[in-house]
Amino acid sequence: MASTFSMSAEGLAFIKKELTRYETPYSAIIPSLFRVQAEHGWVPPEAVVLLGKTLNLPEAHINEVLYFYTMFNTKPVGKFHIQVCTNISCAMNGGRELTQALCKHYGVEVGQTSADGKVTINKVECLGSCDTAPMMQVNADSYLENLTPESAIKKLKEMGA
Amino acid sequence: MPKIKVNGQEIEVPEKSTVIQAFKQAGVDICHYCWHPGLSIAGVCRLCMVQVEGMPKLQIACNTEVKEGMSVNNTSDVVKETVKWGLDFHLINHPLDCPICDQAGECGLQDQYMQFGSYDPEMAEPKVKKSKAVDLGPTVMLDKERCILCSRCVRFTDEVSKTNELGIFNRGDRSEIGTVQGKPLDNNYSLNTVDICPVGALTSKDFRFRQRVWYLKEADSICPGCSTGCSVKVHYNEEGVWRVKPRVNPEVNGHWMCDVGRNTYKYVNLKSRLLSGKVGKRDLWQEVSVEDAVRSAGLKLRETSPDAIAVVYTGQYTNEEYASAFKFFKEELKVKNVFHWLNNPEKVNEFDGLLFRGDRNPNTKGLENAFASFGAKGSWDNLQAGINGRKFKTVIVFGPEDQSVFPDLDEKIKMFSQAENLIWLTACANKSLDSVGGETWQIPVKTYIEKAGSFTNFQGKVQDFKAGTTIVPQALSVSEAVELMAGREINWNLRPRGVGGPKTNYAVSDRGEL
Repeated sequence: MASTFSMSAEGLAFIKKELTRYETPYSAIIPSLFRVQAEHGWVPPEAVVLLGKTLNLPEAHINEVLYFYTMFNTKPVGKFHIQVCTNISCAMNGGRELTQALCKHYGVEVGQTSADGKVTINKVECLGSCDTAPMMQVNADSYLENLTPESAIKKLKEMGA
Repeated sequence: MPKIKVNGQEIEVPEKSTVIQAFKQAGVDICHYCWHPGLSIAGVCRLCMVQVEGMPKLQIACNTEVKEGMSVNNTSDVVKETVKWGLDFHLINHPLDCPICDQAGECGLQDQYMQFGSYDPEMAEPKVKKSKAVDLGPTVMLDKERCILCSRCVRFTDEVSKTNELGIFNRGDRSEIGTVQGKPLDNNYSLNTVDICPVGALTSKDFRFRQRVWYLKEADSICPGCSTGCSVKVHYNEEGVWRVKPRVNPEVNGHWMCDVGRNTYKYVNLKSRLLSGKVGKRDLWQEVSVEDAVRSAGLKLRETSPDAIAVVYTGQYTNEEYASAFKFFKEELKVKNVFHWLNNPEKVNEFDGLLFRGDRNPNTKGLENAFASFGAKGSWDNLQAGINGRKFKTVIVFGPEDQSVFPDLDEKIKMFSQAENLIWLTACANKSLDSVGGETWQIPVKTYIEKAGSFTNFQGKVQDFKAGTTIVPQALSVSEAVELMAGREINWNLRPRGVGGPKTNYAVSDRGEL
């Protein structure tokens, strides 16, 4: 897929600096993965190989972290990455129904990207905003809270999705 | 050393022991999966629950250190109830396909459930489906549904083999064992993960679907694969030998053995063995009884002048066999020309840092000791010159049991066959021997599984082993062969029956390769 993967010099320097901050290189995995994702949009297998070499860790252990957390993308995502929380509070307040409504509206399945590459919908683990359930995160920094399917679609439209 | 009570039984345990070690020492059964004496403590299966007097909550025995005067039990109702529920949770996503599972009969989940299970599952949620035949590498298959995520295999590749191929990926009930793309589970210790898998998630490609384990018998032995001499168990039935597994021996191999050693059951079976004596020369040899072959070889030896005899040993026989052979040749026949055939001298001192050594003979040390006490060995150059110069008329070779570890076998057969007479003791059949031009005697001998004796490993540790089963009843031990060559008698009546060889499983052959 992305055999052309490479990191910026600043990115590599950042990872090497992270390495000096912790007692064990394992602690540098999460910040490094975030950096890769910030530069690349997702974390391709080639990035794991590169991190394995840079952090001097087995690739299997980097993948353990990568595949554990839903905030890391292991596939390319669309321009709008919609991450709907379906953990307990959101699920009880309609998080799963919200996901279904969004999937229907954009014509995609959970985990897939729309044909025009605009929208990806994922179910994710708790985003720490249980008091505003149901809620979702769009891309890296917007929280949309206290949602209904209608209000969610409206807010996404305003954002351009 | 602290004294503690385990289910009311008072025992003294070493300082810093954990409670689970105390249970093991006391010989008291305790439910557990993830704890393994050869690995680090993970504490993830939550099944080794015990009640410690004076503590409000139950503790996991694997991660609780003993304290003087501690009283623990796993028999109270609250422990039983907790373990029952713990097992039920392990079974939520387990497929319960025991009738077609290769681990059935030696499965931790089955064993623990018999004793600690609830027998009355109450889960209404549907099971999570996962892949059931994942190719992890050249030796191991994975069934992701059966896996209970104890992490033993992951810790093994991290801590013991240090190859780090395995990991646990994804989260919650989607968690699964796996490898990284392009990096299969491929190391010389990979099959230990199958041994330590407490359920049927990891199975051996070599062994799966071939035998039901409850029909196999096991015998303790010593692995002949290299000079480390790991303690092993050999599993066999009336058809032959099916697998070799490690046996715990803290002084040599700990809990583990290498994949190469596990292959040592293969050449032992009927298919590769020499089944009768063979006497003659190229295209003219005859199959004769073992007794006839060995007696006529003995006659030839006794009529050759001692100076015209060369004896060649390989490091593949037992100390007891060397003793009787050295005694016969040195003291009775007065032969001075003895030689040590070392198969791969350039690799002899190699070591992979864990168990596997470059010296692919189980008893090189024992042979060297025999040379030291019975007489100095001759140099290989002298042997070659002696054969070429027609000084050695009769060469007797105690040939390799595992021929695959002698890369120079054909070349050496060619060299030895320039002598007028060649006597060759071998466990396995060999085509090159059939085409030797001079007079040749082939005498079938026993493999390590079929005889008792001892090997001296690289450390100089002498390890006894007993006979397991008999594959070729007519094969002789070297000691017996020597007795017969000397013109004496052995007791033929005590010989056990051999095996029948593999039966055809028509159900399997009709269906094709599994």
